[in-house]
Amino acid sequence: MIDFPLLTTIVLLPAAGALLVALVPRRRADLAKVLGVAVSVGTAVLAVVALVHFKTNADYQFVSQHVWIKEWGISWKLGLDGISLFLVLLTGLLFPVALLGPKVHHDTKAYVAWLLLLEAGCMGVFLALDLFLFFIVWEVVLVPMYFLIGGWGYEKRVYAALKFFLYTMAGSGLMLVGILALAFLHQAHFGHLTFDLQTLAREQSFAHSTGRWLFLAFAISFAIKVPVFPLHTWLPDAHTEAPTAGSVILAGVLLKLGTYGFLRFGLELFPIAAHDLAPVLLTLGVVGILYGALVATVQKDLKRLVAYSSVAHLGFIVLGTFAFTTQGLEGGVLQMVNHGVSTGALFLLVGWIYERRHTREIAELGGLQKVAPVFAGVFMVVMLSSIGLPGLNGFVGEFLVLIGSFVSRRWWAVPATAGVILAALYLLWAYQRVFHGEPEGENATFPEMTWKERGVMLPLVAAIVFMGVYPRPVLDRIEPAVKRLVQHVHDANGTHEPGPAAAAGGGNP
Amino acid sequence: MPLELPRVEWATILPETILVVGAMLILLGGALLRRRLPAWVWTVASIIIAAGAMVSAWDLWRRVSHNHQGGAHTAIANAVVVDGFSVYFALLTCGAVILAALMADSYLRRERLNAPEFHVLMLLSASGALLMAAANDLIVIFLGLEVLSIALYVLAGFAQRRAVSREAAMKYFVLGAFSSAIFLYGVALAYGATGSTNLGEIAAFLRASVSTHAVLLGAFAFLIVGLGFKIAAVPFHMWTPDVYQGSPTPVTGFMAAVAKAAGFAALLRIFFSTFGTHRLDWQPLIWALAVLSILVGSVLAVVQTDVKRMLAYSSISHAGYILIGLQAATVRGLAGSLFYLLAYTFMVLGSFGIVTLVARDGDARTGLDAYRGLGQRRPGLALVFTVLLLAQAGVPLTSGFLAKFYVISAAVEAHSYALAIIAMLAAVIAAFFYLRVIVVMYMAGDEADTADADPIRVPFGAGLSLAVSVVATVIIGTILAGPAFDFARHASILRL
Amino acid sequence: MAQYLPLLAMLILATVFAGGSFLASGLLAPKRPTLAKAAPYECGIVPDREPAERFPVRFYLVAMIFIIFDIEIIFLYPWAVIFRQLKGFGIFEMVLFTVAVFVSLVYLLANGALDWGPAKRLMATPTVDPAGARDPRRTSSSTVRRIGPTGKEAA
Repeated sequence: MIDFPLLTTIVLLPAAGALLVALVPRRRADLAKVLGVAVSVGTAVLAVVALVHFKTNADYQFVSQHVWIKEWGISWKLGLDGISLFLVLLTGLLFPVALLGPKVHHDTKAYVAWLLLLEAGCMGVFLALDLFLFFIVWEVVLVPMYFLIGGWGYEKRVYAALKFFLYTMAGSGLMLVGILALAFLHQAHFGHLTFDLQTLAREQSFAHSTGRWLFLAFAISFAIKVPVFPLHTWLPDAHTEAPTAGSVILAGVLLKLGTYGFLRFGLELFPIAAHDLAPVLLTLGVVGILYGALVATVQKDLKRLVAYSSVAHLGFIVLGTFAFTTQGLEGGVLQMVNHGVSTGALFLLVGWIYERRHTREIAELGGLQKVAPVFAGVFMVVMLSSIGLPGLNGFVGEFLVLIGSFVSRRWWAVPATAGVILAALYLLWAYQRVFHGEPEGENATFPEMTWKERGVMLPLVAAIVFMGVYPRPVLDRIEPAVKRLVQHVHDANGTHEPGPAAAAGGGNP
Repeated sequence: MPLELPRVEWATILPETILVVGAMLILLGGALLRRRLPAWVWTVASIIIAAGAMVSAWDLWRRVSHNHQGGAHTAIANAVVVDGFSVYFALLTCGAVILAALMADSYLRRERLNAPEFHVLMLLSASGALLMAAANDLIVIFLGLEVLSIALYVLAGFAQRRAVSREAAMKYFVLGAFSSAIFLYGVALAYGATGSTNLGEIAAFLRASVSTHAVLLGAFAFLIVGLGFKIAAVPFHMWTPDVYQGSPTPVTGFMAAVAKAAGFAALLRIFFSTFGTHRLDWQPLIWALAVLSILVGSVLAVVQTDVKRMLAYSSISHAGYILIGLQAATVRGLAGSLFYLLAYTFMVLGSFGIVTLVARDGDARTGLDAYRGLGQRRPGLALVFTVLLLAQAGVPLTSGFLAKFYVISAAVEAHSYALAIIAMLAAVIAAFFYLRVIVVMYMAGDEADTADADPIRVPFGAGLSLAVSVVATVIIGTILAGPAFDFARHASILRL
Repeated sequence: MAQYLPLLAMLILATVFAGGSFLASGLLAPKRPTLAKAAPYECGIVPDREPAERFPVRFYLVAMIFIIFDIEIIFLYPWAVIFRQLKGFGIFEMVLFTVAVFVSLVYLLANGALDWGPAKRLMATPTVDPAGARDPRRTSSSTVRRIGPTGKEAA
C-alpha cells in the first residue's frame, strides 16, 4: 500500500485540469489540447500505478476517507477493488484516446475542459464508497456529457442532449429518494446516520418488501444508464448525435456506470431483493440482447448500428450480473471492459469514416478495403472483438457470462446465445457492405489511416488482443472481489452458488 | 390605574432599528442633498446600513448559538423573540439587501430613476422582513408584513415610465392588500380560538387542550392563504408572473428573495412551532400546496418564452420545495427549509441580476431571444448564468442540489415518500426549462449577433453582486457544505 | 346622554352657520351677468360646447398628504389622555413617532410637494424619449404643414 492519496488524486486531477484548461486564453486552442492530453495521460498513469500496487484480494484498497458533512455521516470515501480496478483503467485509457482521436471543429478549450470534468466524474463513480458522494458524481457526469453532445454533436444534437439529460435525471431522482430512505431506515434501526456503503451493506435494517422497493429505486436509475430494454430509447439518439469523442466515452465508460452500479450498489446493498427480482432483469437483459441485435441489423446508419449493438452487449453484462455465479459476474466485469475498449474503438473508427466522407450511411460507403487496407484491417480486428471471436477479448467475456448463467439460469442463457450469432450477422454484414466491393465515387479517394490515428488505435488493439489471448492476469485480479460479492448475495439469501463455483473458469480454451 | 409599561430592550431589535434609522437618514439626505451627490453615494450608504444591521445580527447570532437554548429569549413584552431562527433571517435579508443594492446601482442610473428613494424603500421593506421573522405575536407579524409589503408595492412600480411596472404595482397592491386582509382574518380567528395573539400563549393554550375547534381550523386555513400569497404558493400564485415580469428587475430579485423568505419565516414559525401540536390538521394542506406549487410552477415554466417570467414560475416551484420541509414538521424539515432559503437567496438574486444586465436599456429585453448566442458574446456572463441555472435545477456541486437534498431527506425521514418522489420527478421537468435557456445561450447556432448595436455592459457593482452570488452557490455546494448545514441547523433553534 | 348635549348643540350651530352663509351670499350679492363674463375664455371666440373643467392634480396630492398627517395627529389624542400614566416611556415613544413623521414632512417639503404656483420641473429627468426628440430629421418644416388661404397645400 502506498502512502499517497492516490484515488483522491485520480478523481481530482482531471477536475483540476478542467479548471486549468478553462483558464487558458481562448486563442490558445493548442495549449488547451496539450494540457488536456497531459492531464488525462497523467490520470491514466496514476491508474496504472494503482494496478501495479493492487494486491489480489477482495478488500477495498487505497481507501481514503475524509469527513465532509459530519452531522449527516457523509464523507469523501474512495476505494478500489477488483471490480472497479479495470474500469478505472479503462477510463484512464479511453479519455486520452478520446481527446487525441477525433478532430475538434470549434471551441477546443471548452471541449477539453468538459471532457476532463467528465473524466473526474466517471472516476468518482467507479471509486466512491459513500452513497452521497456516489450520487453527486453520478449526477455530475451528466453536465459535461450534456454540453458535449449539445455543443459539438450533429444535426439533432440539442434534442439528443436534452433527452439524455432528462432520462438520466429522472432515474437518479428516484435513486436519491432510495438512498435517503436507506440511510434513514438504517438510522432508525442503528441510531446513527451514515451514507457509508460498507456499513449499510453490512448492517441490513429493512424488511424484505421495503428492500424490494429500495432496490427498485436504485435499479430504475441504473437500468436507464445501462440501458436496459425498454429504457434504452435515449441511447441511439445520444450516441448518434454525440461528437465522436462523446460517443467513445458514452459507450466506453458511461454505460458502464449503470452496470457497475448494479454490481456495487444493487447487489451489495440489496442482495435479497436483487435475488428476488433477478428474473425480471434477466428477462429484460435477454430481450435487450435480441432486440438490440435485431434492430442493429436493419440500421442504415453505421453509427446507429454500433449504438444498437451496445444495447445488445450490455444485455450480456446484465445477464452475467444477475446469474449470481462467480463466472457470470467475472464475465460481466470483463465484458464491461471489453465492450468499453471495442465499442469505443468502433465509434472512433466510425468517427474517422465520417471525418473523411461526411456520411455515415452504409449505403453510400463501399469498397474501402481496396483503398484503405490498414483502416479496414483495424476495423476488422475491433469488429471481430465485438462479435466475440475466440482469441480476442470479446470472446472471453461472453463465454464466461454464458457459462456462468447457464449453470444457474439456463432458460435465459440459451436464448442469449442467439445474440452472439446475431452479432456476427449484423457486424459482418455491415463490414461487407462498407469495406468489400469496388470503391466508387468519393469512396475511391478514401484516405488511409494516418500515423497519428494508428498511434491512437494501438493501445486499444493491443488491449483487445492481450485480453483475448491471456486474460488470466485480469481475471485473477477481478476474481476475489467477485467471489466475495457472490458469496454476499448467496449468504443473504441462504442459497449456495450452483455448479463448479470454485473452478475459476474461462480463460482461453 | 397604574399601567404596566413594557421594557424596550433595544439591543434585541438593533438590526431592525439600524435599517429604519438608516432609511430615514437616506430619506433626509436624499431630500436635502439630492443635486449635490452622485447616485452611487446612496448605494454605498445603503450597503453600509445593511452591513451594519448584519454585524449587529451577527452579534446576536453569537449570543444565541453560543449557549444553545439559553440564548434564545423573548423581549419587549414578549412581542419579539430573539432566537437562531430570527437572526438567521436577519442575516439572510441583509445579505440580500446588499446584493440587490449592488445590482440596482447601475440599473437606477441606466433607467434614470431616483436612487435615494429606491434604497429607502428597500431598507424599509427589509426591516419589515426582519420584524416578521422576529415576531412573537401575530399582530407584530402583521405589522412586519405590512411594512414589508407596502414598500414593495411602491418598488414594483418604481419604473413609473413603463406601463408594465405600473401594472405590476397595481396588481401586487390589490392582491397583496387582499391577502393581508385574509391573514388578518386568520389572526382574528386564532385569537377567537385560543384567546391570545401571542405565539407563546397560543402554543401553551394548544398544548393544554387536545380538541380541535372548527374556529382554529379556520384560522389555519386563513393564515395559510394569507401567507401563501406572500410566498407565491399555488393556488395563490396568480399575481407572481405578472408582478415579477413587470417590476424593475433588481426589485424582482429582491422581492423573490426577501418577500419569500419573510413569508416563510412567518409560516414556519407560526405552523411549526406554534401550531406544532396540531400538525396532523395542517400537514395535508401543506402537502397539497407543496405538490401543486412544484408541479404547476414547473409545468407552466416550460411553456414560457420570457426568461423573467420563466424565473417567476421557477420561483413558484421553489416555494413548493421549501414547503416540503414544513410538511415534514420535523427539526430536519425546518432546517431543510431554512437551508433551501439560504441557497435560493443567492441563486435567485444572481439569476435576476443576469436578467437585469441582459435586459439593457428600458429593461425590455427579457425574452429568450435576448440570450441567443450569449455564450459567444459574453462567455463569462453566460457561464455565471449556467451555473446559477444548473444550481436551480439541483445539479450537484451547487447549493441548489444540497437544498433539494436537505428537504427531500426531511420528507423521506418523515415517510412522505410520495411527496419525495413527486418532487424529484418534477425536478426533471424543471431541469428542462433551465436547460432550454442554456441551449439558447450556447447551442443556438451562429445567427447570434442580432442586437450588438447595444452591447451588454457589466458595471462593477453588478459584477460584484453576480460574483458573490455564484461563488456562494458553488462554495456552499462543495467545501462549505458542512458549515452551511450547521448554520441552518443552528437557525432551527426556535424558542418554543 | 346629557354629556353629549354640547356636541349636539355644536353640530346644529355649525350647520346653521354654514347654511346661513351660503344663503346670505346668494341673497345679498349683486348679480349682473353678461354673456362675455360667463364665457370661460374672454378672448372673443365663443365656445360651441362646454369646455372640460381643469382641476390641478396637485389638489389630490395635497389632500392625500393632509389625510396622512391628519391620521398621524389623531394618534396623539389617545396618547395625550393617558400621558401622565405613561411617564417617560410615553414621552420617549412619542418623540420617536414624531421624529419619523417630521422626517417625512421634510422630505415632502424638500421635494416641493407643498409648493404652489406654476409647475416646476422637480427632477432633471427627461420624460420623453430623448433619442426621438433629438432626431435631426425632425424640423419645423417636416412637422408643420403650411396651407394657403384656400385651404390647399402651398406649393
